[in-house]
Amino acid sequence: MFQPKPMTHLLIAASKEQMVSVVTELYRHQIFHITDFVDQGKEGYEGVKIGVPLEHAGKLSNDLLKIRSIENVFHTAPSTQSTVQIRPAETIRAAIDSELPKIDEEVSSLTVKRSNAESSIRECEQRINELKPFALVPLELDLYRGYECLTVFAGYIEQDIEISVPHEKYYQAEKDGNFIVVFVETKNAAEVEKQLSEAGFQTVTLPVESGTVQAAVDKYTVAKNEATKIFEDCNVKIVELKAKYADLLAACDEVLSCDVERAEVPLRFATTDEAFVIDGWIPTDEVEKVTAALNQATGERVYITVDDSNVEDTAIPVEFNNPSFAKPAELLMDLYAHPKYKEIDPTIILAIMFPLLFGLIVGDVGYGLIYLGLALLLRKLLVKMGDSGIKAFKIIISAVVSTIIFGLLYSEFFGMSLPWHAVLFARHLPIGAGMEHASPQVIELLVLSVIIGVIYISVGRFFGMINHYRMDHPGIHRTKAVLAEFGWNLILWAILVLILSVVDLNGYCQFPLPLPTLVGMPTVGGIIGAVMLIAGIVFVAIDNPLDLMELPTNTLSHMLSFCRLAAVGLSSVAIAMVVNFMAVDLFIAPALADLNIVGVLLIIVGVLILIFGHSLNLALGILGGAIQPIRLHYVEFFMKFYQGGGIIYKPFGLKRKFSEE
Amino acid sequence: MALDAAQAIAQGYNAIGAGLAVGLSGVGTGIGEMGIGAAAVGATAEDRGMFGLALLFTVLPETVVIFGLVIALLLIFV
Repeated sequence: MFQPKPMTHLLIAASKEQMVSVVTELYRHQIFHITDFVDQGKEGYEGVKIGVPLEHAGKLSNDLLKIRSIENVFHTAPSTQSTVQIRPAETIRAAIDSELPKIDEEVSSLTVKRSNAESSIRECEQRINELKPFALVPLELDLYRGYECLTVFAGYIEQDIEISVPHEKYYQAEKDGNFIVVFVETKNAAEVEKQLSEAGFQTVTLPVESGTVQAAVDKYTVAKNEATKIFEDCNVKIVELKAKYADLLAACDEVLSCDVERAEVPLRFATTDEAFVIDGWIPTDEVEKVTAALNQATGERVYITVDDSNVEDTAIPVEFNNPSFAKPAELLMDLYAHPKYKEIDPTIILAIMFPLLFGLIVGDVGYGLIYLGLALLLRKLLVKMGDSGIKAFKIIISAVVSTIIFGLLYSEFFGMSLPWHAVLFARHLPIGAGMEHASPQVIELLVLSVIIGVIYISVGRFFGMINHYRMDHPGIHRTKAVLAEFGWNLILWAILVLILSVVDLNGYCQFPLPLPTLVGMPTVGGIIGAVMLIAGIVFVAIDNPLDLMELPTNTLSHMLSFCRLAAVGLSSVAIAMVVNFMAVDLFIAPALADLNIVGVLLIIVGVLILIFGHSLNLALGILGGAIQPIRLHYVEFFMKFYQGGGIIYKPFGLKRKFSEE
Repeated sequence: MALDAAQAIAQGYNAIGAGLAVGLSGVGTGIGEMGIGAAAVGATAEDRGMFGLALLFTVLPETVVIFGLVIALLLIFV
């Protein structure tokens, strides 16, 4: 909680004979994060080079390439295969040897046939298109060629022209372009060509066909239909093959991907002529297990060192370490940035507060139920997206549950009242019939928002102090940075003390708990506030006087920014109530009072307004309810302490879905 | 409930003020988000990993309209 998993830096060295067993053992555990070895040339250690892949890596890669190309033809990928049937890896490897060549041959003969058909379809279409303009000319196709002393020009022209030499011309004005065919004596050809090109003539190829144009077009249409049939047959066969082999291919892809990853991993090792070294990280509580396993696998012929030296925390892979309920929020954390190793990881706060704030903003039973329905509809899609989809689904569900609970507390159902008064804060506005006396607790909600803001900012600054203490190098700079964070908190609280010593907020609102006030002792409050303010400013100024420029934004503006929790929520209620007022009070209720044909139309209009208005508000609710709390966390909270940018922990070894060793 | 003229005018001005507060701050936010949004979409198109940061930058000016909304609420309800 608040901390990533502790990691230990391990160096594994052994002679090259042990490489396969070490790799296999590490692969089996799937917990070792390998740091890639970078060959530094002359500056590095002498004789140490990047390793070479294991001997069978080439064949495995080739097989994998074949499988991927077949999958490409099938438009399938392991990630889209949802029916998971786990098979032993050995049988799949056997299948790769025995069945893959067969499948490959079958598929490639089909694709060759299909692409031939495709190209002949395209060729026929092109021929038909070329013949199209000649259909307008009442001449057989043989007559366009075979002359000794005649030249034929055919093509498109902007407008009809007069040709000055003896000729035979056919001109047809068409929407797509004006087609012209000119027969002239060859001795005049150059002259005619010049005249035509001045008139904007674009030549087309003369068809090498015989008979009428229609006959030629028919011939190509028949050929095209035949090719189309072959093309479709191939597609049907490919779909059949896909249904038959998609599962097997996904499994083969997985096994081969694993094998290739394993075979190529020496590319990440440092090797000498006789030995190799693997540099990497492992969760601290797994060190003993893996050490023992490696020793056993190699017959104690491996040398494992735990490196305790100080490593920059940006080089340490970071694995979240949160209780299971907070895991989904890691998605929102990674959207911002992966935490650094020594940094406070605020996932758990996000996990608790995001749904709460979403509920606080949207807070409506009706909307909650619709969101729930939508989420359940989207579930299949999200689950298909894999791990992050499942996390997103869990976040949505928690937000929805919170929306419904807050809706019950606010007594809201599509903006209307439930049969009880609001338990927590009334948000109904005086809009519509029967609501004239509604008195929303706007000020109470705003005060609550600001209180949440003050807590967030204070905690953020407190985390900032801890982060500076942990991550900065010891010394005067670190002390200054920690004090500056404390100074910002002092300034914030000083402003609060000063406000509370002149204003009694209880006079403006009935908050469920009495709000603290210092109005009775303005002098004491004033002095304490002033001292805190000056101390705070001094602490900040010691670190960096320019930071004081941010004083208004860093304190007041960030604190008041939390007012959005109340404001966005109230605007959502207002939209819902206005929609209800328009639909029910203006259309449906008057129509029901005096029902006739026009009334029915009015009711339909009213229902449409209801549907459209509430859909709009639902969409706005997602935007307001989700983006605003996330933004409050990202901007107002994280910016006080969180840097992020850590390396994501990626243990060596693929997660298997279809196979098992 | 009959309001006398002065009260009615005062309420009217209040409502106009509230409307202006939300409307003008909305325009301001819009202008602010215009450039940021375009740049953010561009950055995200180049690199999906920028999405979080891009979203963050885009919603930064939103605070302005929230302040407008808060002022409007205070004008009407206090």
